[in-house]
Amino acid sequence: MKNRLKVLRAERDWTQNDVAERLGVSRQTVNAIETERYDPSLPLAFKISRIFGQPIEAIFVYEEAAVVE
Amino acid sequence: MTSQAKSSDRAQTIRLAIAALSWFVAYFVARVLLKDSEAATWVRVAVALMPVPFFVATLIFVVRGARDLDELQRRIQLEALAIAFLVTMVFLMTLGLLQRAISLPFEDWSYLHVWPYLPVFYFGGIVIASRRYR
Repeated sequence: MKNRLKVLRAERDWTQNDVAERLGVSRQTVNAIETERYDPSLPLAFKISRIFGQPIEAIFVYEEAAVVE
Repeated sequence: MTSQAKSSDRAQTIRLAIAALSWFVAYFVARVLLKDSEAATWVRVAVALMPVPFFVATLIFVVRGARDLDELQRRIQLEALAIAFLVTMVFLMTLGLLQRAISLPFEDWSYLHVWPYLPVFYFGGIVIASRRYR
């Protein structure tokens, strides 16, 4: 899953530690999400959306070749 | 993480370290006391069980610590335990077969000497799992 976490963080001039503190997670977790090695759970994605004041879909982009509805 | 949470984490880590250290000390004291001991059976059994309360204390602190981990750290722990469990299984299975094949010396390959490998497998699992998310 792609995300804009790094860009949003840079816009606010926050460090990974700042984001980690706001989310109540470790800096390693923030880094793993930013580098797209780890996809956060839904509750954590909501928290991220809340601290950046943006909807989840504006931060995370789910990419799949074909989505069956 | 707030500074209050950090200081609580530090206190928890210190408690865990003290419990784990007490467990290891109790274990090695028990080993020394049991070596060539001619005490009554009940005394030897009591000495052999001496490290168990320290182990239980360590276990409680480990479980409490695990509950405080965030979701990525929990995933790393799960992957580490999965790796350690499977490596342990293969290790013990191979030892069992080797024992049948060449009769391994008790002094080197009894339970007494084999268990220290298990934490090594666990920490190896943590290193492997952590690297994936670095």
